[in-house]
Amino acid sequence: MAETKTITLELFRYHPETDSEPRFQSYEVPYDEDWVVLDAINWIKDYVDGSVTHRWSCRMGVCGSCGMMVNGEPKLTCAAFLKNYYPFPIKVEPLVNFPVERDLVVDMEGFMDKLQDVKPYIIRDDVNDTSEGEYLQTPAELAQYKQYSMCINCMLCYSACPVVGHEDDFLGPAALALGHRYNKDSRDQGQSERLEVMLRSEAMWGCTFVGECTVVCPKHVDPAGAIQQAKAMGAQEYFKRFVMPKGAGATKGAGA
Amino acid sequence: MSGGQYHRPHRRAWFMERPAYIRFMIREVTSFFMAAYLIVLIVTLAKVGVGEAAAAEWLQALSTTGWKVAHAVALAATVWHTITFFAAVPQAMPIYIGEDRLPDPIAKIVMGYGPWLTATAIILWGVLR
Amino acid sequence: MSRGKSGRPTRPSGEAFWWALFSAGGVMAAIFVPAFILATGFLLPSGDPAAAAEGAQRLAALAGWWPVKLVLLGVITLSLFHCAHRIRHTLMDVGMRRLAGFLKLPCYGGALAGTVWLALVLWGI
Ligand code: SF4
Ligand code: FES
Repeated sequence: MAETKTITLELFRYHPETDSEPRFQSYEVPYDEDWVVLDAINWIKDYVDGSVTHRWSCRMGVCGSCGMMVNGEPKLTCAAFLKNYYPFPIKVEPLVNFPVERDLVVDMEGFMDKLQDVKPYIIRDDVNDTSEGEYLQTPAELAQYKQYSMCINCMLCYSACPVVGHEDDFLGPAALALGHRYNKDSRDQGQSERLEVMLRSEAMWGCTFVGECTVVCPKHVDPAGAIQQAKAMGAQEYFKRFVMPKGAGATKGAGA
Repeated sequence: MSGGQYHRPHRRAWFMERPAYIRFMIREVTSFFMAAYLIVLIVTLAKVGVGEAAAAEWLQALSTTGWKVAHAVALAATVWHTITFFAAVPQAMPIYIGEDRLPDPIAKIVMGYGPWLTATAIILWGVLR
Repeated sequence: MSRGKSGRPTRPSGEAFWWALFSAGGVMAAIFVPAFILATGFLLPSGDPAAAAEGAQRLAALAGWWPVKLVLLGVITLSLFHCAHRIRHTLMDVGMRRLAGFLKLPCYGGALAGTVWLALVLWGI
C-alpha cells in the first residue's frame, strides 16, 4: 500500500442545500494505467466520499451519461484514461453551458426540449398499412444520414460550442444534427415541418461554424457539417416558400 | 436552505479560452480586411470611370509602401479565408457515389482548389497579357 | 417576435436569406478575391508614371468589357454581403447579441450601399 502510485483529482463540488457557490475538493486516488477518470471518481465515491454525485452507466462510451469537463475539455469520463494526465492533477467539472444540479451533474431539461423541437422521428403523409411491409431503403440512401444517427446525446458538443453558451434560442449541435438526420432519411416526408423550426432566427442561423462540436464528438457525428447542410436545405426551403408561399414542398437531397 | 441550480458566470472573453476559438476568430476577422479591400477595389474602379489619367494617378499612389503592406495583409487574410472555406467544403457539401463519400482531399480539389487556381490563372493572364 | 412555450421564437425569419448571400459570397471571395488583390494591389500599381499609365490602360480595357463587368459586379457584391454577414455575426459572438437586429442596418445596409455604388461605377466605365 505504501508504495502505490497516486494521482490527484480535483472535483467540482456543489450541493444546493448547503452551498451558495461551488468549490473544488482534492482527492488522492490510486493510480492504475488501465483506469479512466470515471473509475477514479467511482473509487472516490465508494471509498472516500459517498456524497460525490455524478452520472454514469455503461462504462463503454455508449450511453452518453458520463460527460464532464476534464481539465477544461468536454470528455466522456469513461473514455478519458488517467495515463493521459498522469502525474499531473486532473480537474473535473460538470459540463459547461448547462445549469449545475449538484456536483458533476447538470440539468439536461433544456437539451431534451431542443431535441424534441426538431421532431426526431419519421414523419409520413401517407402511412402504409403494416401488411404492406417496411419502408425499404437502399444502402446508398442509408449512407446519406447514417453518420448523423450515431449520436448518444452525451452533450459534449454543447459544452464545446460558444454559441450554445450565449444564445438560448440556438438549438445546438446534437439537436440540429438529429433534425438533419431525419431530413436526409429517404423514408421521411417531414422536412418542411422540421425546417419550419430550424428556419427561426437563431435556432440554426446562430451557428457560426466554430466547428468544435465536431472535434469533441466521441461518435464522429460531425454536427458542424450537418448544420451547414441543414442551412443550405433551409435556405432552399426559404426561397421555395418565397416563390410559392403555400405549397412549400419537401426539399429532398438539398445540400448534397 | 436550497441554493437551487448553479449557473456559471457568463464568459465574456470566451474566444480566448481555447486555441480553436482563437483560430475561429482569426477566420472571422479576415472578413474585416476583405471588406476594406473591396472598398479600395471599388475606389480603383471609380477612378477608371473618371478617366485614365485619374486611374494612373491612383495606381501610382497605390505603389507606396503603406498601400503595399495593406494589400499584403488583405491578401494574407483572403487566402486564409479561401483555405478555411475549402476546408469546410467536404463537410458542408458531401458528394456520394453510391454508398461511398467522395474522399475529402478529392472533394476539396474538385470543388475548391481546382476552380481557385483556374480562376486565378485566368485573371492574372488577363491582367498581364 | 412571438415566442412559444419554450421561450423560443415561433416563426421563420429572414436569416436564411442573408445566410444564402453569405454562403454564395464566401465561394466567390474564396475563388476570385486573392487574384483581384494580386492584380490591383501588386501587378498594376507602379511608382513609375509611364508604367502606372499603362496599368490604368489595361485596367480600363478590362473593366470596360461587359463580361468582366458582370463578373466584377457579381463577385464584389456577393463578397460584400459575405463580409457584412460575417462581421455582424462576429460582433454578435463577442457580446453584441442584443444588437443582432440593429446590426443588420450598418452591415447589410453597408453592403447594399457598396453594391449601388459599384453598379453606378461600372455603368460609367
Ligand atoms: S453529436 Fe456527438 S458530441 Fe454531440 S451529443 Fe451527439 S454524440 Fe455527443
Ligand atoms: S458511462 Fe456510458 S458513455 Fe461513459
